[in-house]
Amino acid sequence: MSKFKLANIFAYGFVTLFSIYVLLPIIVMILTTFKTRREIFLEPLGLPGQFNFSSFEKALSIGLGGFIFNSFLVSLFSVILIVIIAGMAAYVLARIDFRINRYVYLLIVAGFAIPPAAVLVPLYVTVSNLGLLNSIYGVVMPLTAFGIPFTVILFYAFFLDFPREVEEAATIDGCSKMQIFFRIIIPLSGPAIASAAIFQTVWIWNEFLLALIMLTSDEVKTLPLGLMKLRGEWSSDWPSIMAGLTIAILPVLIVFLIFQKYFVRSLAGLGK
Amino acid sequence: MNKTQTNSIGFSLSSDRVSVIILLIPALIFCTIFIFIPAFWAIVGSFYSYGMTSLNDWKWVGFDNYIKASQDEFFWIALKNNFIIVFASIVLQVGVGTILAAILDRGIKYGKVIFRTIIFTPMVISSVAVSIIWLLIYDPNFGILNNILIAIGLPTPSMGWLGDPDISIWMIMIVAGWQNTGFMMVLILAGLQGVSKEVYDAAEIDGATGVKAFWYITLPMIRNIIIVAILITTIGAFKVFEFVYVLTQGGPSNATQVLGTYIYLQAFNLLHMGYANALSVVLLVIALILGWFQLKASRRA
Repeated sequence: MSKFKLANIFAYGFVTLFSIYVLLPIIVMILTTFKTRREIFLEPLGLPGQFNFSSFEKALSIGLGGFIFNSFLVSLFSVILIVIIAGMAAYVLARIDFRINRYVYLLIVAGFAIPPAAVLVPLYVTVSNLGLLNSIYGVVMPLTAFGIPFTVILFYAFFLDFPREVEEAATIDGCSKMQIFFRIIIPLSGPAIASAAIFQTVWIWNEFLLALIMLTSDEVKTLPLGLMKLRGEWSSDWPSIMAGLTIAILPVLIVFLIFQKYFVRSLAGLGK
Repeated sequence: MNKTQTNSIGFSLSSDRVSVIILLIPALIFCTIFIFIPAFWAIVGSFYSYGMTSLNDWKWVGFDNYIKASQDEFFWIALKNNFIIVFASIVLQVGVGTILAAILDRGIKYGKVIFRTIIFTPMVISSVAVSIIWLLIYDPNFGILNNILIAIGLPTPSMGWLGDPDISIWMIMIVAGWQNTGFMMVLILAGLQGVSKEVYDAAEIDGATGVKAFWYITLPMIRNIIIVAILITTIGAFKVFEFVYVLTQGGPSNATQVLGTYIYLQAFNLLHMGYANALSVVLLVIALILGWFQLKASRRA
C-alpha cells in the first residue's frame, strides 16, 4: 500500500513539476507585459504594481497587425495548397496500383527528410529567378513544397484505413478516379484534413528560416520576422517585447485549445 | 494486374491513368522545383565559388570547398553541436516524453486532460517567440533565473547563461526541451492508448504491475512508435535553427553554431555561396541517411 502511495506521489509530482516548467515562461511573458521598465529592473521577481496596457499599444504601433496579416495570408494559401495537393498524391499512393508508386513514395520520404537549410542557396536563387523575392508567394511556394511530403505521409496512413466498399460502388457506377477523389474521398476525410491543416498551419505560422531569407522589406514580413524586429529595435524594453509576443501567441493558442483533439489524432496517425 | 482488374468492370485504363497522373503531378512538380532541383544545384554549386552579387558568375574550384570545410574548426563545432542536440533531445524529449506519457496513460487518475494540454501547449508557440521569452529568463539583470538563484544564495555564471561557451548549448537544450517534449509525449501517448486493457490484465495475473509492467510489456509493444519518435527527434535536431539564431546567434565565439545557422552565416552574411553549398551537402547526406532509416521504420510498422 505504501509503495503504491509513493508511486502515486512520484507520478503526480513529476507531471506537476513538468507543468510548472512549461507554464513558468508563459507566466513570465504575461506578467512582464504589465510591468513597467522600472519594475523589471528593480524587482525582476515581483508582480506588476498595476495593470498597465501601454505596452500593448506600443507593440501594435510598430505594425504588428501587418505582420499578423501577412502570416495569415501565407498560412492560408500554403495550407490550402498543401492539403489539396498532398491529399491527391496520397490517395494515388494508398489506393491505386500504379507502377511508379514505389518510387514516388521514396521521393516523398526523401522530401520529408531534406531540411530547407540543406538547399538554402539554390532555393534562394530559384525564388529569385521566379521573381518572387520580397513577395509572400516567395515563401508560400517553397513552404508548400516542404509541407507536402509530411502531409502525404499523414494522409497515406489515413487512406489505408479508409473502407474500400464506397469507392468500389462508385467505380461500378462509372465514376473516374478523379471524381471518386473529389466527390467521395474528400467529403469523408474531414478529420484527416482538419489534422493536416492544423498541423501545417502551426508550422507555417511559425516558420522562420525561409521567411528570413526571402522577405526583407517590412510590408511583406511575417510574424516571426516581426517579433525579431521588435526585439532588435527595443532591445531592453522587455514589457513592449513581451506584449508583442503575447499578441502573437494568443490567436494560435486559442485555436489550439479549440481544436486540440484533431492535433492529438493527427499524431496518432504518425506512428503508422 | 491492374489492367485486367479495371477492364473487367468495363473501365477504360487510359482515362484511369490520366487521372492518376493529374492527381500525382502537382505534388511532384512542387517538390521537384523547390526541393529536388535545389538539392541537385547545391551539390553542383558546392564545386564552385560564387557570391551573392555574382550569382551567375561561377568559378570551378573542385573539392576546395570540402577541403576548406574539413579544416574549418567552426564547421566541426557545428556538426558536433548537432550531434549533441540529437543525443540530448533523445534523452530529454523522447525519454522524458515517454515517462510523461506513461504517467498520463495509467499512472494518474485525475487531471489527465489538463496536464496533457499544458505540456503540449509549447508546441504551437513559434520558436522565435519561445526563444525571446527565454532570452528574458536567462538575462543576467532582468531574468528570473539569476534572480531566483541570487535570492536563495546560489552562484550564477559570471559570463551569463548564454555567454559561457561551456554551458550555452545546454541552455539552448532547455529551451528546445521546453518546446518539444510535449509533442513527443502526445505522440507516445497515442501509441500507449492503442495497447488493449487485456494486455495489462494478463500482465497483472503474471504479477507484473506498475513500472515493471510498463518496462517489460508496454514498452516493447510500442517499440515502433518509440522508433518513429526518435527518428522525428533526430531529423528535427538537424533542422535546428531558430533557437540558436535568436538565443546566441551561434556565439559565444561560434560555440553554439549548428549546421543550419552556419550555412546561413556563410551564405547570407559572408556571401560564400559555394562554401555554403558544400556545408548544405553535408546536411543533405545526413538527412537522406535519416530518411532511409525512416523508410525502414515505416515499413516495419
